[in-house]
Amino acid sequence: MRHLFLAFLLLGAAFLPARADTIFVLNSGDASISVIDAVAREEIRRIPVLREVHHLVVTPDGRELVVGDSGGNELLFLDPVGGEVLRRLRISNPYHLEFSPDGRHFVVASLRRNQVDIYDAATLELQQRLRHPGMPSHIAFSPDSRWAYVTLQGRGQVAAIEMASMTTAWVQDVGPEPAGIIWHRGRLLVGLMGRDDFVALDPETRAVTTAFRVGRGAHNVFPSPDGRFLYATSRVESRIAEIDAETLEVRRIFEVPGGPDCIAFDPDGRIYATLRWIGRVLILDPATGDHAQIRVGRSPHGIFVMPRRPGVGADFALRMPGAASGPRPMELALAEQADAPTRVNAAPGR
Amino acid sequence: MIAAIEDLYDQVTAWIFHAWVQPVMYELGLMAWADDAFDWVGFFLFGVVQVLVVALVCLPLERWRPVERWDSQRVVWTDVTYTLLARLGLLPLLGFVVFSGAAVAIEGAIADSGFVPPTLETLIPGLREWPLLALALYIVILDFGEYWRHRFQHQFRWWWALHSIHHAQTQMTFWTDDRNHVLDDVLAAAWIGVIAVAIGVPPAQFPLILLVLRLAESLSHANVRMDFGRVGERLVVSPRFHRLHHGVLSVGQSGKNYGVLLPVWDWIFGTADFKRDHYPRTGDPGAPPAYVTGGWLRQQGQGLREVWRALRPPRQG
Repeated sequence: MRHLFLAFLLLGAAFLPARADTIFVLNSGDASISVIDAVAREEIRRIPVLREVHHLVVTPDGRELVVGDSGGNELLFLDPVGGEVLRRLRISNPYHLEFSPDGRHFVVASLRRNQVDIYDAATLELQQRLRHPGMPSHIAFSPDSRWAYVTLQGRGQVAAIEMASMTTAWVQDVGPEPAGIIWHRGRLLVGLMGRDDFVALDPETRAVTTAFRVGRGAHNVFPSPDGRFLYATSRVESRIAEIDAETLEVRRIFEVPGGPDCIAFDPDGRIYATLRWIGRVLILDPATGDHAQIRVGRSPHGIFVMPRRPGVGADFALRMPGAASGPRPMELALAEQADAPTRVNAAPGR
Repeated sequence: MIAAIEDLYDQVTAWIFHAWVQPVMYELGLMAWADDAFDWVGFFLFGVVQVLVVALVCLPLERWRPVERWDSQRVVWTDVTYTLLARLGLLPLLGFVVFSGAAVAIEGAIADSGFVPPTLETLIPGLREWPLLALALYIVILDFGEYWRHRFQHQFRWWWALHSIHHAQTQMTFWTDDRNHVLDDVLAAAWIGVIAVAIGVPPAQFPLILLVLRLAESLSHANVRMDFGRVGERLVVSPRFHRLHHGVLSVGQSGKNYGVLLPVWDWIFGTADFKRDHYPRTGDPGAPPAYVTGGWLRQQGQGLREVWRALRPPRQG
């Protein structure tokens, strides 16, 4: 019933006047967070941070954004509605961060210190520090929260951490310089920056196969809210590829400048991507092909869309069918696939 | 205007990285270091801008009111080499490649101890909303650290054996600023590193301010008859103030005017000389000939020999 209500709200949002969603962009190169008005398509303010912000996640209750300032050894907790800094926490070198789908754990990959830290999500007390030589880069969980998988960028491997014992169960070679990693339909999809493809890693058999090719410098992949597509970035080729989530077939390639890195979606399925090397954010509507760029700070990396629509919160992406895939795959979303809405806009034209 | 300049700077950085650096890194299997390489390209480009701006300001001044005129400027070209190696990021890049593994191990060990290095802003929360004030405070603290490092360079025989390279230049110009032995640069980086762990690394998001600071440091070495007036001399290190430090009578432990950017430390610790009409000859009469007339490589080799000699116990007899 709750899911039907959510579907009703999202469909209703399509008939409301355009609202100004707020976009948060982490400028890793100049110690700031850009706040963008999505309707005016301009930066409305900048939040200063200490040193070097890279990634952010929304808390399980959807009330806060957690931003990792790796250079400043600090987590910032932002109000996703107003953008105010609610509190700060000093922790060691938070680069990539993710909550377990069950909301119990908070895991931090520290690329520059070769460590993976496991925190209690409620108290944010450090429970375990795992040493992982090889630049721990990105984290993805299994939907049952039993496993955390971390790419080891410098060693061409993925490490599997068993959350119950908080130990590394196994390490698997996957290919040169793995970066982004997500859970997708029972397998892990890993972007290989040293090649042009994403590989699929079966966590049961540990078999590694090529999943799809996007171009040199394959980097990261993000499921669309409706769960029908994956959008994968390639840094060297500088493009975004649209992948069929079912068949993993590359459907379209969007050539974009500036080395696209992280992607976020608004409830209509529009893409917001950070263009790392040119200090801009790309707005791309895959339904129409319309696109624009917004100037932000230097080396923008992590990005988050805060919808400003009735009944839609910061955690909307975690309630959508697409959340069955991703670094925090939600079993709830998997169960909702049948009755949750697809994108509000029409399906992309071909 | 500033936004337009920054935009142009970013676009050129992006073009160099995307068209040249990143494809090479991909082919060499170095994509794990792409972010660092992008930063380095920015550093390189900023270095080019720095050298150009400093040269555009200092060259006319040196022509306008030189302290000395020389028939040959051959030894000045050695200093140009030092500047390009330091400012275009080649030596920092080499340092990064050599020491990045050690840095990871040291930072990891610090993290394992449970100590999370603070920053000035965590110690003084009000500074968070005033990043420029924070930067000013960082500059003051780091400059204080540099004053003492400079004192120690003159204090210890083995360190003076290295630092003498900087002082041996008899034709001091604004290019002399970066004339340091590589080992001395490593010690400087370690010195700053310790301070950084104590107070955090200062933010690098103020390139214009850093450019001004860099200009001030280069200008202090310029071959120009210039002081900043009775008050100004006590606020910022001038060419007159720093030339006195490079004078032939100010070598080793008899040094004066150690300040790098702010003369206030010399004032406080009694090492200041504010005689505004005094422009001594520069150089270190006790320096080996290679330090005076040698090229970059010869000076580096000689520097290692000199430091080894200084560290050995004196022979009995």
